[in-house]
Amino acid sequence: MTTMATPTQSLPDAQLAHYNPKSESAGTKRVKSAIFHAVALALTAVVLYPGLWMIASSFKPNSEIGGSNTSLWSNNFSFDNFVTAMDGIGGVSTLQFFTNSLILAIGAVVGTILSASVSAYAFARIKFPGRSIFFGMMIATLLLPFHVVIIPQYIVFQQLGLVDTYVPLLIGKFLAADAFFVFLMVQFMRNLPAELDEAARIDGAGHVRIFTSIMLPLMKPALISTSIFSFIWSWNDFLGPLLYLNTPDKYPLPLALRLFVDQTQSSDYGAMIAMSVLALLPVLIFFLVFQRYIVEGVSTQGLKG
Amino acid sequence: MINRRHFLTTVAVGTASAAALAACGNGASTSAGETGSAENPVTINYTWWGNDDRAERTRKAIALFEGKNPDIKVNGNFTDFAGYWQKRATEAAGGGLPDVMQWDLSYLRDYGQRNQLLDLGTVDINTDAFDKSLLPSGQIKGKTYGIPTSTNAFAVYYDPAKLASLGIAEPDGTWTYKEFNEFLTEVGTKSNGEIFGSTDYTGVWWMFNIWLRQNNIEAFTEDGKLGFTKDDMKKWWNQTAALRGTPAIISEERVTQLAPKSPFGSNVTATEVTWDNFMAGYLADSGAKELKLAPVPSDDPDNLGLFLKPSMLMVASAKTKYKDAAARFIDFMVNDPEVGQIFKTSRGVPASKTQRDGTTFEGTDKLVVDYEKSIEQYLKDAPEPPIVGFGTLEASFKRVSSDLNYGKLTIDGAADAWFKEAEDLIKQNA
Repeated sequence: MTTMATPTQSLPDAQLAHYNPKSESAGTKRVKSAIFHAVALALTAVVLYPGLWMIASSFKPNSEIGGSNTSLWSNNFSFDNFVTAMDGIGGVSTLQFFTNSLILAIGAVVGTILSASVSAYAFARIKFPGRSIFFGMMIATLLLPFHVVIIPQYIVFQQLGLVDTYVPLLIGKFLAADAFFVFLMVQFMRNLPAELDEAARIDGAGHVRIFTSIMLPLMKPALISTSIFSFIWSWNDFLGPLLYLNTPDKYPLPLALRLFVDQTQSSDYGAMIAMSVLALLPVLIFFLVFQRYIVEGVSTQGLKG
Repeated sequence: MINRRHFLTTVAVGTASAAALAACGNGASTSAGETGSAENPVTINYTWWGNDDRAERTRKAIALFEGKNPDIKVNGNFTDFAGYWQKRATEAAGGGLPDVMQWDLSYLRDYGQRNQLLDLGTVDINTDAFDKSLLPSGQIKGKTYGIPTSTNAFAVYYDPAKLASLGIAEPDGTWTYKEFNEFLTEVGTKSNGEIFGSTDYTGVWWMFNIWLRQNNIEAFTEDGKLGFTKDDMKKWWNQTAALRGTPAIISEERVTQLAPKSPFGSNVTATEVTWDNFMAGYLADSGAKELKLAPVPSDDPDNLGLFLKPSMLMVASAKTKYKDAAARFIDFMVNDPEVGQIFKTSRGVPASKTQRDGTTFEGTDKLVVDYEKSIEQYLKDAPEPPIVGFGTLEASFKRVSSDLNYGKLTIDGAADAWFKEAEDLIKQNA
C-alpha cells in the first residue's frame, strides 16, 4: 500500500536493491483489482437490475407482472405485450407517438443549439451595458422552480390561443429560455482564448463572422453535450405535454405510456412495460452514439484556454 | 332548437330583465350559447380519463352522437387519472376548462364551489329516468353540477375457486362482523397462511362510512363537520384488533411489497371489500376465471348501510360557449341506450333506467348488475358530495390505519392522529 501511495518516497539502499515495483505490487494489485471489480460489478448489478426487470417483464403476461410474482423470467414467454403496445391507444398508432416525441425532441435540440449559442456569445464576448445584470438575471431563472410559473405561463399561452400546439413546448427553446445551457456555453466560451477573436477582428471579421467561423467550430463539445441533454430532457418530459397538449394525436410517448395503466379500470402493465422498452431505445441509441462526446464535452470544459 | 333559441333570445332581450341576464353568466347574447348547423357545426371539447379500452368505447359513442347530431362535432381528449386532475387544476386557473368533462365525485364540491362548473339545472337534460336518491350526490346547495353516468356500490369480492380449494363454503350473503371475521380466520387457518383472509377492512374509509350508516351515524354533517366521535372510530378499529398479525389479515409489509397491484389482484387474499365496478381490473390482474360479489357484513340485518354512489359524473365548464350543445351531449351520454350498449359496465352500472334497460349485460357485467339489483331493497340515499379536501382525509385514514397495522400506533393514538388532521383540514377549508 505504501509503495503504491508514495512511489516517490526515497527508500533505504538495501531495500532499494531488491525493489521491483512490478513484481512486488503485482499480488496486491491483483487483490485490489479483484475487489474493485467485484464491488463495481455488484453496484452495476444493483443499478441495472430495474432495467433487467423491465426487459424481462416485457415478455411476461400481464397477470404475472408485479404482485406476488417474484421470478424474473416467465415460462409463458411471449411477444404479445409488444404487439399490444404497437397497436396504439384509442385509435392513435404508437408510431404517431414516436413521431411526436421525435418532432419535439429534435425541435428542442435545434432550438436550444441555435438560441443558447448566440446568447452565450453575447454574454461571453460582447461588452454591452448591463451585461452582468442580465447575466445574473438569467442565472436567477435557474433558481425559479418550474411549478411556480406553470399557471401564469398557461394563461399566457391560453390567451394567445396556442394551447394544443407544440408552440408552448418549443418556443422557450428557440428563445434561449433554458438558462442552464446558456450558462454552460458561456463558461465554455470564456475559456476559449480571446486572441482568436482579436486576430479575426484584425482581419476584418465582424461578430457574425467571428461567431460562425471561429466560435461555433471550437464549441463543438459544448454543443454536443447540450444536444444530448436537451434531447433526453425533451424525450422524457411529461408535465409540459400533459398541460399543453389536448389532442391524443399530438401526445408524445411519456403521455401515451401512462394510458396503459388505469387504477380505476384494468391496467395493462405488460403493454406499458413493452412500450417503455421501445421508448427507451432511441434515447439509448442516441446516448451510445454520442457518449464519447459527452465525456469530451465535460472534460474540455474544465480546461483553461 | 333554433326556434327555442330565438324564443329565449326574444324573452331575454325583450324583458331586459337583469336577473335573466345574470343567469346567463356573463350576460352574453343567449342562454343556449352559440349553436351550429349541419353545414357549419360547432365543436365542443370532451375530456375523460381512462385506458385504451375506454378510449375505444368513447370514440364509438362520439361517432354515434355526431351521426345523430350533425350540427355538433365532439373533439375527444383523454389522459390517465393522476394527470387528468393536474391538467384540470391548471386549466381551471387559466380559464380554459374543456366544454364537457367526465368527473369524479371527490372533486365535485371543490370545482363546484369555485364556480368552475355549469349549473346543469339551467340547461335541458332529461333526468326522469334517474333514481331520485342518486341525483343529490351531483348537487351542491341546490345546484346540479354533475349528472351521474353510472353507479357503483360497495361489496365483498371473493374468489370461489380459492374457497373451493380450501373446502370453505361460499358466503350466503348475510353475515355479521363476527361471522365475517370468523370467515377470514378460517381462510387463513385452512390455507396455512398461504392465502390470507383479506386486507384489514377497517382501513378502508368507505367501509367505515358504511358501518357508521349501519349505526345511523352520518360521516359528515350538512355544514361540513365530522358527524362521528373518536369513540366511534376506536370502536371501528377494534373490530379487527384480534385479527391483526394473524393469517386472517395480510400484513402491511406484504401489501407494500405487492403494490401497485392489490393483494386480491395478486391472488394473495381470498376476499376484498371495495367498489363493485373494479371487477374488470381484478379479473385482469389476478387472471382468475370468476370472481363473485357478496353484500358487506352488518350487525343489523335490515340496515346494510349500502348506497349507490355515482362512479362517474358528467359536468360542463361554467365558461363553455356552447351550453346547448354541451347539454345535448351530456344527455346523450347518460340516457341513450346505445351508449349503454357500448360501455356496458365499464363506467359502472348505467344510472339512467332508460340506458340500463336498453343494455344487455353478460358475463361479468351481469354479475355487477345483478349484485346491484340484489341489494336494491337495502339501498339508502347516497351521501352528499364529499367535503373539500376529502381526498386528503381518505388518504390519511388509510395511512393512519396502515400505521396501526404496522404497530407504530395504538388504536387510541391512531384516532387522535386522524382527528387532529381532519379538524385542521376542515378548519382550513371552512
